[in-house]
Amino acid sequence: MSTTTINGRVESLPDDPDALLIDIVRDQLKLTGTKLVCGAGVCGACTVLVDGAPVASCLMPAHAAAGKAVTTVEAIGAAGLHPVQKAFMAHDALQCGFCTPGFIVEATAFCDRWRATRGTAVPSREEIGAALSGHLCRCGAYDGIFRAVADACAGRFDGDNVAAPRIEARDKVTGAAKYTVDINHDGQLEGLILRSREAHARITALDLAPARAIAGVAAVSLLGDDRIVRYVGEPIAAVAAKDRKTALAALAAIKLSSERLPAVVGLDAGRKDGAPVVFDKASRKRAGNVSEAAGGPAPWKQNIRGPTAVFSTRAKKARNWVDEARQANNKLLVEATFRTATQQHACLEPHAAVARFDGDRLTLHASTQQVFHLKEQIAKRYKLDHDKVRVIAEHVGGGFGSKASLGTETIAAIELAREAKAPVRVAYDRQEELSVAGYRPAAELKVALLPSDKGGLKALSVTAHADTGAATNSTIAGLARLIYPAEAKDLSDFDVISNLPPGAAFRGPGGPPMAFAVEQAIDEAALRLKVDPIALRKRWDPDPNRQRLYDWASGLELWRNRKPAQNGRYRRGIGMATGYWLYLWQPNVKVEVAVKGGRIVASTATQDIGTGSRSVLADTIAREFDLESADIDVRIGDSSLPEGPGSGGSRVTASVMPPTLQAVRKLKAAILEQATRKPAPGSNAPWRELIARSPDIAVTETRGEDGKNTAPGIRSPLREVGLMGMVFGWMMRRFSNIAVGAGVPSSVQVIEVEVDTWLGHVRVINVHTGIAVGKIAAPALAHSQACGAVIQGLGYALYEARELDPTSGDVLTAGMEDYRIPGIADTPEIDVHFDEAGFDHVLGNSVGIGEASTVPTSAAVANAIHDAIGVRLTEIPIRPDRIVAALKGRDAA
Amino acid sequence: MSVATAEVLSAPEFRAAGTDLSERRRSGLSCGSIIDLTASPDTIGIAWNEDGSARIGALTAIAAIASDARLAQAYPGIAAAAQGLATPQIRHMATLGGNLAQRSRCWYFRNPQIACLKKGGSDCPARAGNHLYHVAFDLGPCVAPHPSTMAMALLAYDAKIVTDRRSRLSITDLLGDGSDGAADNLLAAGERIERIELPAPLAGERALYKRAISRTHAEWPLVEICVRAVIERGVFREVHITAGGIAPVPLRLAASAAALQGKPADAATIAQAAELATSGAKPLPMTGYKLDLLTGLVRDLVERLAV
Repeated sequence: MSTTTINGRVESLPDDPDALLIDIVRDQLKLTGTKLVCGAGVCGACTVLVDGAPVASCLMPAHAAAGKAVTTVEAIGAAGLHPVQKAFMAHDALQCGFCTPGFIVEATAFCDRWRATRGTAVPSREEIGAALSGHLCRCGAYDGIFRAVADACAGRFDGDNVAAPRIEARDKVTGAAKYTVDINHDGQLEGLILRSREAHARITALDLAPARAIAGVAAVSLLGDDRIVRYVGEPIAAVAAKDRKTALAALAAIKLSSERLPAVVGLDAGRKDGAPVVFDKASRKRAGNVSEAAGGPAPWKQNIRGPTAVFSTRAKKARNWVDEARQANNKLLVEATFRTATQQHACLEPHAAVARFDGDRLTLHASTQQVFHLKEQIAKRYKLDHDKVRVIAEHVGGGFGSKASLGTETIAAIELAREAKAPVRVAYDRQEELSVAGYRPAAELKVALLPSDKGGLKALSVTAHADTGAATNSTIAGLARLIYPAEAKDLSDFDVISNLPPGAAFRGPGGPPMAFAVEQAIDEAALRLKVDPIALRKRWDPDPNRQRLYDWASGLELWRNRKPAQNGRYRRGIGMATGYWLYLWQPNVKVEVAVKGGRIVASTATQDIGTGSRSVLADTIAREFDLESADIDVRIGDSSLPEGPGSGGSRVTASVMPPTLQAVRKLKAAILEQATRKPAPGSNAPWRELIARSPDIAVTETRGEDGKNTAPGIRSPLREVGLMGMVFGWMMRRFSNIAVGAGVPSSVQVIEVEVDTWLGHVRVINVHTGIAVGKIAAPALAHSQACGAVIQGLGYALYEARELDPTSGDVLTAGMEDYRIPGIADTPEIDVHFDEAGFDHVLGNSVGIGEASTVPTSAAVANAIHDAIGVRLTEIPIRPDRIVAALKGRDAA
Repeated sequence: MSVATAEVLSAPEFRAAGTDLSERRRSGLSCGSIIDLTASPDTIGIAWNEDGSARIGALTAIAAIASDARLAQAYPGIAAAAQGLATPQIRHMATLGGNLAQRSRCWYFRNPQIACLKKGGSDCPARAGNHLYHVAFDLGPCVAPHPSTMAMALLAYDAKIVTDRRSRLSITDLLGDGSDGAADNLLAAGERIERIELPAPLAGERALYKRAISRTHAEWPLVEICVRAVIERGVFREVHITAGGIAPVPLRLAASAAALQGKPADAATIAQAAELATSGAKPLPMTGYKLDLLTGLVRDLVERLAV
């Protein structure tokens, strides 16, 4: 038996030639700071040092470490934080934190090397980008990482000062933060899921007995009562065993027979007449949901559900005007068909759940965006008392909308744990995560935009067909109602169902594809009207929040100094676009603010998926008491706390801040009332003294309605839509527990690109993102979110696409090398501008930033590319193949 | 799983650093026994002969090749290729021999659930399916491009491979002509690469390497090329251009090289040579764009070489 030294301790290595270094680190030594994400050496989350050099521990055979010294993130900074760790904390160079340990390991090695040879010189962005090119961050924390690495190399974090705007940052940069995949109970089993190999089939026989015959194996069926599977990868059964290897053997032992049914794959095939029908009438309730809220009724014929056209106004007029303009060859009529690609959430922490029964009590650790609601869903599904179910999510490695439902990982973990009478972990592998864990549906959008003779907006027509797979409820075209009022709008949404995995809500569902199409149509109209694109938006879009953002954008030096079209190999262009999202909040949210043992403790059953919910609470309360954020204990991520909001619909800040502020007010009064001694006169920390001496007091407040007095022009966007809007709002509240507030969170972006016309490569150089979401609750974290939103939007615009086998529907891009998310070196300079007005009617004046901030990016990139090369790219991602084809098309024309 | 597939996946495999093999072990694409390679002085490191030529051991890490100053001086195309592939962590572990003998990156091949020629199957699912990143020179039944960047660069240098059984194999001897869809290389069962021998560099020769990708780093090439030439008094001599990412094996762009050979290093000559890069191309329905990228890359690198 050979040995290796890990973090200074000699450890024995197993004889198994397939054992990998990550298995030793995570499973044998429980050093869970090292993360397994891609399993292919692409993402770098598993990076450790071997004899001082960063390596991918997910690929390195364990025995190759024999006689060597391995250092994991846990040992970095164990005797005092490394300057890189302090810099990551100070610059908020992290969000969900799941990629952070890998970045820390690589960046400390880079920094140490750099300092040894270059002293305190500052490395360039190119040098940092190349050094960290073996790491991926899905939240898009790259902007902060650049600054952190540069400053650490420059020696700016050699001192003892450690300050972090994100209160859990230290746990994330040291690898101490525990995620669901890191939970390890005594006797815990590993669960795996048997998935369909057929795109459409009836399961005629499923025999779990041979799997159960293997010692220690539990197995459960996951089949629906109709025993039909509707996509490759649909769950059929699940097994649990003492380790993955045994579980794989158990999966292989299951006997399955099926009768293949005709299948149809994708947007174009799915809507053909006579295509095989995916859901017959009786099975329609099995379809998934791609939106944040429940859907309304809609026509549904074969595989086409729609039109949903409730947001149309004078639709027939709009169609007639467009037809007339087309016949009259009206040069101002902008018509185009746009196509957007399927975008995977690609959370670095996979969907995962660990279920454990103690008697009739269920404790579930889950990588979820909704601890409280998930508890309620589980209690309902399994008919358990609500107080016998507890859902815990201390840290969540990304969600982006994909972890907002009761998923197969949870169902399998619970049912296996019940059968096995042992705790069970189910964690998706990367192939599952990138195929069956949800996605933003691809869409085809037909747009017609007709300006009036007087330069107004006369008619807008948008027809969207969304590639929703085994799911429904896409709203893309409808979102074009709440911006750019017109004399008439014809907006129709269709779901095209096919034998593909179900889509899911994804950060501003429907928003980015709507913007990609409509914002390019607006840009084209501006060109034809010979009006500055910002000026045209200012004319056509009266929303007061965006009016201020348009003023900001039109004053940018980058915008004012736009150059005429260029020739030559490299061509630069500047484009802009607008986006918005609804201001949503969750009724009944409760926050408890208490004095416990002389400290302030805030509690609510929300969770932090990397957005910064913990810090928003801490910062808000600290400001009220004139304390430091670190003085506040924040308890979240536990469903046994007072009802908290789900992390979806950008609703957390706007849901927790008002009750928090109310609770603080009451708590202050109670503290003063019970104070036996007033603070010393002239004390510069009167509350600190009062709190330290206060008996334990707890105040719980519930989110109330917003004030009715709003600034001019600030109304609920649904009110503008009239009766249908009111009905929509009522339904959102009644069936999805989401309230639509007044005022529209908005974002305007100005982007500069450079196109290499020979190699089809697009380099994004500069991004200005202006955001109006009210007062910024946690500025450094909001900045991180704003940059991350741009980076994710750039991925959507330029790189990301799910690719399929066109016949079987197999997802071919089910690994991180083929599903291409942006890397650090693809990150442009990003300037973030916060306009903090517009939400004075909300207690605390703050609403959410997550979704509005990512909506316009793909459209702004496309408009910039048009500015650069004179060709409009109507399909994303705008990859090299599409750029060279577009240039060729123009040359041929 | 068919019998043929099971047999293919159960073959014993050599393991150098494991950067390719470990992933295939985890996904079930390699189930046979593993034979770990251990380095000897002959199989690791860079050695120099008296005539200025180099030998590189098969177990030499890609990072060692990328950072060797003398190698970068003598064989700049090889050093640049090593610098441009994969990620820093992978380059640190991965070896030259492993890079040459790695398996295809085709997304059908890598999916253990799908049969293909390289897994004992009877046809290529990418051909009729989704082949966005596949070949534009359709030279054989399998349409996956060969994944080895180092092979493409070594081809430009007429490198010879020494195995434990044979010596002086050319890259073509090692990898074939693309007509065998079942194999990624023509090594016999149990035959292993020991070292690579490079001819002495020519006086005054220069070389460049570049890959076209959608992002900035860490992506398999859509197309990649290595250009090597001597420019003597403004005239191209000894031109070698090789390309990867576009064919089942690394390709020599003979027509482009011939169009430059003995011609003045001017824009017109270069543009004409770039157009000839696609001679003999047979793109698939989804890979025509690779020919534009190939033309662009040849023009780009030859122009920069001529400056």
